[in-house]
Amino acid sequence: MYQKTLEKLQELTIACEKLLNKIFSQQYNPFYYHGAVPNLFMWTLFITGLLLFAYFQPTLDSAYISVNYISSKIPFGNVIRGLHRYAADAMMIAVLIHAVRVYFTDRYRKYRWIAWYSGVALLLCMLVIGITGYILVWDERSYMIVLMMTDALKQIPLVGHGLAKIFINGHVITHYTMAMSFFFHVGISFLLLYLLWLHYLRISRPVTDVPLGLGLLLVSSIMLPAAVLPVASGKPAVLTQIPHEFPVDWFYLWVFPMFSSMPAMIVWTALFIAVAILLALPFLIVDEGKSPAAVSLDNCVGCTLCAKDCPYEAIYMVPRTDHPKFKQLAIVIDSRCAECGLCVGACAFKAIDLPQKHSKEIIAKIGDVLKEPAGAGV
Amino acid sequence: MADDKKKKIIGIVCERSVDLKKHIKNNHLAEKDNVAVVEMICSGMIQPIMIEEGFKQGADGVFVMGCQIGDCHFREGNKWCQDRLLGLRPPNIKKTIDKNKIRGFWLAKCDYKKFLDKVNKFEEDLKNLPQPEAPKPAAANV
Repeated sequence: MYQKTLEKLQELTIACEKLLNKIFSQQYNPFYYHGAVPNLFMWTLFITGLLLFAYFQPTLDSAYISVNYISSKIPFGNVIRGLHRYAADAMMIAVLIHAVRVYFTDRYRKYRWIAWYSGVALLLCMLVIGITGYILVWDERSYMIVLMMTDALKQIPLVGHGLAKIFINGHVITHYTMAMSFFFHVGISFLLLYLLWLHYLRISRPVTDVPLGLGLLLVSSIMLPAAVLPVASGKPAVLTQIPHEFPVDWFYLWVFPMFSSMPAMIVWTALFIAVAILLALPFLIVDEGKSPAAVSLDNCVGCTLCAKDCPYEAIYMVPRTDHPKFKQLAIVIDSRCAECGLCVGACAFKAIDLPQKHSKEIIAKIGDVLKEPAGAGV
Repeated sequence: MADDKKKKIIGIVCERSVDLKKHIKNNHLAEKDNVAVVEMICSGMIQPIMIEEGFKQGADGVFVMGCQIGDCHFREGNKWCQDRLLGLRPPNIKKTIDKNKIRGFWLAKCDYKKFLDKVNKFEEDLKNLPQPEAPKPAAANV
């Protein structure tokens, strides 16, 4: 049942892909760069963030003023600020498409579980970065976010009060609250880079860049709203006036409407369960046992072709001493092997093969199939 | 020599590209019984010897089919296969084999119609092949 649904969903993605192929052509189809597109937006965020960083003052008194100074006084400051906001939304959309596509096309489990797990961590970090980013503006919305988040954190048993204390950096909202939000916003952004390294682990030649044409198109697609619909702060936050509502960014701040409509503990439990489900997903489908590629000692000449072609960094070359002529031997790391057979296709010496689907059998089958009279048994 | 005798064609096909399960009878296409099909895990597993074996066993043409370039389930299989057909990546196909008799199709799961068109075109090309000037260089079609 579960697998039937997945198959249907896969057909859906392929249909979308066909449509996009017609619009963008195969070379520029963003679906084929679904991992690189979030990356493009991430670098946009880093660069625009760096420019904002130069003028931003992380204190309660001057945060709002400095953000407005960026918007109104710095040449193109408005556009940079808009880019920073819209790139964040675009990145979330791109990440969700990436995750959904990977899930629908069955590319998230088995030898890919590290990428899935680091992806979940990346997504959570993005949410924290997004929420703390909205605090930095220090308008009414920021104040509400701080108040609601502190309340919600305090509801968590045992660690709640500690977390709330870390979040506002003390017992009450002070300048240090702003400094802490700034630290989270920037610090966790750099944590993204480490997590991305984990994300790329075991992938040879990850596709991290989109083609120039597509990149320009995507950047202009956020440049346009940044220029036409400039981002503006709300009313400045006044600590003595507690605001009651604020405009919600549905990509990053969706948790706050949940906090306001139900007890915080229910929201935290729901989030916890959601993350647990995400982490359990790769192991929901049980596969038959592994049969990774095997190297034949007699045939391997150490040409490195299979190691170069392996898309999962599962084949390593090691020096060998047991052979008079050949100095290297290919070694397969079983846990990384995807059993895809790319190494078999790369080998001209019949030295590496999948035990379950041996190339000899396929060659024999090619012979058999051709010997059968055409149309026999139809 | 464009005779009426049907050309024997064999396809070495990635099981994740065009879904042929419903269309295969006894290892041949139900609609075109001169086209034999062998399914594999990934087009990247196709060795040049397999293509050579097809010709050795009397095929008039061999086509390879994988998923759309850029969308290999195993990331790079169809790219490597395409490069091998083009002669850009070792191991190479024997030089004695006429590259006009080899085709690469790169199609998604739902592209059965396109697939049939391409096979028909390939068959047509094979029939016209023995004329001295080949219709087009093989590389252009891969």
